[in-house]
Amino acid sequence: MIEIYEPYIPVLLIAMIVVVLAGVILLANGLLGPKRPTRLKGIPYESGVDPVDSPRHRFSVKFYMTAILFLVFDLEVVFLYPWAVNYNGFLADPGFAATAFGSMAAFLVILALGLFYEYKRGAMSWD
Amino acid sequence: MFEQVMFWLFGAGAVVTAGMVVAPPFNRNPVHAALALIASFFCMAGLYMLLLAHLLAVLQILVYAGAIMVLFLFVIMLLNLGDHELGKQSSSVGQMIGLVAMAFVTSKLVVTLATSADSLPHGADPAAPEALVRDGFGTVATVGDAMFRHYLVPFELTAILLLIAVIGAVVLAKRNL
Amino acid sequence: MQETLAFTVPLSWYLILAAILFTIGAIGVFTRRNALLVLMSVEIMLNAVNLTFLAFARTRGDSIGHVVTFFVIAVAAAEAAVGLALVMGVFRHTRTVNVDSLRAMRR
Repeated sequence: MIEIYEPYIPVLLIAMIVVVLAGVILLANGLLGPKRPTRLKGIPYESGVDPVDSPRHRFSVKFYMTAILFLVFDLEVVFLYPWAVNYNGFLADPGFAATAFGSMAAFLVILALGLFYEYKRGAMSWD
Repeated sequence: MFEQVMFWLFGAGAVVTAGMVVAPPFNRNPVHAALALIASFFCMAGLYMLLLAHLLAVLQILVYAGAIMVLFLFVIMLLNLGDHELGKQSSSVGQMIGLVAMAFVTSKLVVTLATSADSLPHGADPAAPEALVRDGFGTVATVGDAMFRHYLVPFELTAILLLIAVIGAVVLAKRNL
Repeated sequence: MQETLAFTVPLSWYLILAAILFTIGAIGVFTRRNALLVLMSVEIMLNAVNLTFLAFARTRGDSIGHVVTFFVIAVAAAEAAVGLALVMGVFRHTRTVNVDSLRAMRR
C-alpha cells in the first residue's frame, strides 16, 4: 500500500524532522536555559530609549488592500497552473484550442478589471 | 497499514486543532485561534494526500494556509482587539440547546454513515489504487483537463465571483478605520 | 505483495471524520460571539465538505470531486475577503466584533 504514497515519504520525513527538532530545541531551551528575569530585562528594547507608546497599534487598512490583491492573484495563478500544464493537449485538439485560449483570456481580463477598479479607487496608493 | 496510521494521525490532528479554534480556553486570543486553524489546514492537506488528491493538497496549503489565513491575520492585527472590544462570551440557554442538538444530529449521522456508507453502490466496489495511480488520478493534468473540458462555465463564473469579491471588499474597507 | 492492492481506509471513515469536523465548525458558528471566530468556523465547515467531495472522488475514481473542491476553495477565498471586510466595516461603526451586539438593521 505504501508504494502509492512513495513520493510523499520525503515530505513526511522532513515534516517529522521539523516537528521533532523544533520541539527538542524549545524543550531544551525551557529546561536548560537559566532564567533570571528582572523588570529591566522585561521591558522591550528600543535602542536604549524607554518605550514611548503601547505596541498594540491598529494597523492601517492599506495592508488589507494589499492582502486582497495578493489573494485574488494567488487564486489566478492557481487557476492558471492546471491550464498551462494541459495547454499542449488542448492545442492538439483542433475543436477545443480556441475555446481553451479564449476562456483563460476572459478569466484574466475579468480579474484584471478588479485590479483596475482597485487602482481607480486609489486603494493602491500608499498615502 | 501505512494509510490507516496516517489517517488517524492527520484525522486526530485536524479534529484537535479545529477544536482549539472553537473551544473557549484556547481561542481567547484570535491569533492563537488562527494558528490552530492553520495547523488544522495542514492536517487536512495530509488527508487530501491520502485520498490521492495531489493538486488539492497543495492548493489547500497554498490558498487556505497561505492566502486566506494571511487575510485573517491581517484583520486580527488591523482590529487589534482587546478584551473591551471582544465583549463577554456569554453562554446562554439557546447556545447550549444548539450545542446539544448539533451533537445529537452528528451522532446520528456518524452511526448512519458507519453502518451504511460502505455499502453504497460505489463504496462496495472501490476503485483500484493501481488503476488510479496509472491514470494520474488527482494530478494537475487530470484535474485541469476535467475542469477546462467540462466545467468552463463555473470557471468563468469564479472569475466574476472573485471580481465581485474584490470590488465588495474594496468598497467596504476603503474608508479608513 | 502479489495480492490485489486495496485502500485500507474505507470511505465511511472519511465521511465520519468530515461529519465530526463539520459539527465542530457548526458549533463554532452557533456558539462563538467573536465574528472572526465565526468566520474561521465557517472555513472549518467548508474544509469538511471538501473532504467528503475528495473521499467520494477517490471511491468513484473520477475527477469531478476534485474540480468541485477547486471551486469551493475559490469561493472560500471570496467569502473570506468580503466577510472580513464586513467585520471591519461593523467594527468601524460599533467598535465591537461581538455578533450578539449587532441587533439593529440600521444605525
